[in-house]
Amino acid sequence: MQQERKIRVLIAKVGCDIHERGALTLSRALRDAGMEVIYTGRYQTPQGVASAAVSEDVDMIALSDHTGSLPIIAGQVIDELKALDATNVPITAGGLLTPDDVKALEDMGVSGNYGPGTPVEVIVAHINGLVKP
Amino acid sequence: MEPEETRVDRLAGHMVRTATQSGIELKPGYGPDDASHISYRKDLGDPGEYPFTRGIYPEMYRNRLWLKSFIVSYATAEETNQAFREYIANGMTDLRLLCDLPTQSGIDPDHPSAWNSMMCGGVATYALPVYEEMLAGLPLGEAVFELAHAGMSSFLYFYGLLVAMMENRGMDIRKLRGNSINDPIRTKLVYGCPDFPTHTDRRICLDHIEFSVRNTPSWRPIAPNGVDPCQGGMDAIRELGGCLAVATAVMEDLRDRGIGIDEYGPMVFSLDAESDFFETIAKFRLARKMWARIAKERLGATTDRAMQLKIGIRTSGLSLTHQKPLNNAARVTLQILSCVLGGVNSLDASSIDEAVGLPSQEARIFNLDAQHIITHEANVPLVADPLGGSYYLEWLTGKMEREVNSYLEEIEAQGGIFACLESGWLGVVMESCRARVQYEKAEGDRLIVGVNAFRCEEDEEGPINEAIRDTAYRAPTVAMREERVREVKEFKAGRDVRRLQPLTTDLLRTTREGGNVQRAVIEAAKAGLTLGECVGVIRLGYGIDYDPFKQIDMPDFVRGIVEG
Repeated sequence: MQQERKIRVLIAKVGCDIHERGALTLSRALRDAGMEVIYTGRYQTPQGVASAAVSEDVDMIALSDHTGSLPIIAGQVIDELKALDATNVPITAGGLLTPDDVKALEDMGVSGNYGPGTPVEVIVAHINGLVKP
Repeated sequence: MEPEETRVDRLAGHMVRTATQSGIELKPGYGPDDASHISYRKDLGDPGEYPFTRGIYPEMYRNRLWLKSFIVSYATAEETNQAFREYIANGMTDLRLLCDLPTQSGIDPDHPSAWNSMMCGGVATYALPVYEEMLAGLPLGEAVFELAHAGMSSFLYFYGLLVAMMENRGMDIRKLRGNSINDPIRTKLVYGCPDFPTHTDRRICLDHIEFSVRNTPSWRPIAPNGVDPCQGGMDAIRELGGCLAVATAVMEDLRDRGIGIDEYGPMVFSLDAESDFFETIAKFRLARKMWARIAKERLGATTDRAMQLKIGIRTSGLSLTHQKPLNNAARVTLQILSCVLGGVNSLDASSIDEAVGLPSQEARIFNLDAQHIITHEANVPLVADPLGGSYYLEWLTGKMEREVNSYLEEIEAQGGIFACLESGWLGVVMESCRARVQYEKAEGDRLIVGVNAFRCEEDEEGPINEAIRDTAYRAPTVAMREERVREVKEFKAGRDVRRLQPLTTDLLRTTREGGNVQRAVIEAAKAGLTLGECVGVIRLGYGIDYDPFKQIDMPDFVRGIVEG
């Protein structure tokens, strides 16, 4: 049987948010679910995330942030992806989110949008659903 | 491969675990045989007596209740100041200070990497005037301040601002009360703070302590932190072991600067109150006992004061859930109760809306009221160490002591806590603890109500839960961030460079010569040196890039010094 290409996910943190546990937990869970994960680490720029998404040829970007700034961060990452002609990379987000944030993110086309404590199976299923044809 | 389906029965009416949160297996019951190894004098002592297992004061809370604190840290100095006043009126006695995340990382709001987290988690306290505004009208010299920041530069700088404010007002800085976390392991292990490399952190830590011991004797300049490693994954054993190892290493370093433990005085640990009720209580009692032993036997303490450990608490933010947030009220209340039963000295409880956003005022008042109810209605603090002598608790305390000791031996065998950080070993330990928890949750061996058991859909939640979700504090808008960037640029442009330049030169020279930089930081801050510039100048003194993020150049007045 032909080996299937694994789903490649870029887990990214932008800015100075120090809360890393969500990103690390998700990294492990996605690997356990058979995906390839590239984690940017903390203190990244939106440009850095967009160019990593392109150069690593990922299927999906997962933004993690616990400052309440996910709509701002997602907007910047989307702008940088546009600049690189890479608008086809779907984005999901997780961290501290108010109902307004979720709405703002959905309007930008960011799906998922999970609060803290979301079971990782839910996120795995969402990514599988989005990325698999 | 599909993830294994969770076998949690959402209607589970039975226990699913037989072990504590950190994995200590328990019997269904304990009796005299389980506690027969304990010597009352040697292992417990009366409250107020060595080894202080039962508390550091003879009458404990009768004489002095624990300090009630919050990290009060909203987006603007005005809001934060207003909240401090409100909380003080409601019985808060301890002001826990923080700042926004970029500032904690060592950069100012006009730095390009600040934008995405600017004013998040606190005020962008980039310079003295912002501190003046944030603390306006609060009683310096009477209030207890705690610096809870992440980066090591923060302790040096913000303690410096408190001293500067007092000196500018002609007050005696010996009256400054409070503590700094100032833990050089936690800053890297948990936060990977970019401000300084570890060897610099280690020296900055000692500079701050040395200056404080000599000038502000009521300030506790280090409080090794277990809260954040614990939130990062460490279990109770490794949390406590880490704090003991940091405190020991730093006190030994300090001895090389001519300050012994007797002169230093009591130690403070900043510990986590986790959800496992009895394990958490045992951890607090054990922390006091183990530190007293180390202080006496290893560090040569001869006074009771120098053997005493004060415990400051932050209850577990990680235990709080986004799902059915009302349940967080039960979690927080139990965690507060474990702190009181464990005899802690200050308590900062997380808020029920903390998994949704920054805590709202009302949720904070609930935290204070819960403590007032535990005190005045439930009468819990009337008697010191009320669980002392419990077969189970004493067995658990002894069991945990053996485990912590073997963890400390592992650390020693690898050259000490700093070597364990640098080699990456501590990170691996934290990662494997975290993975175990994740595995247990996925397997249904660790139930979190509303998350992997007893769930309901968000739209099945009632109006109370919905309201909690809606009232959480909102992150600052783009317009607010733009305003802050304008403000910092104006501030920088408006300074008297002729006054600032020689004081900055002094900071650079002191750093290069290996002197204690604390006084130089205080004087330069008085002349308007910002946090980001302070970090940059110290970095230059160590021969590394001005900017930790390598994105900006040093300002002209600093370039003038470096090239001049």
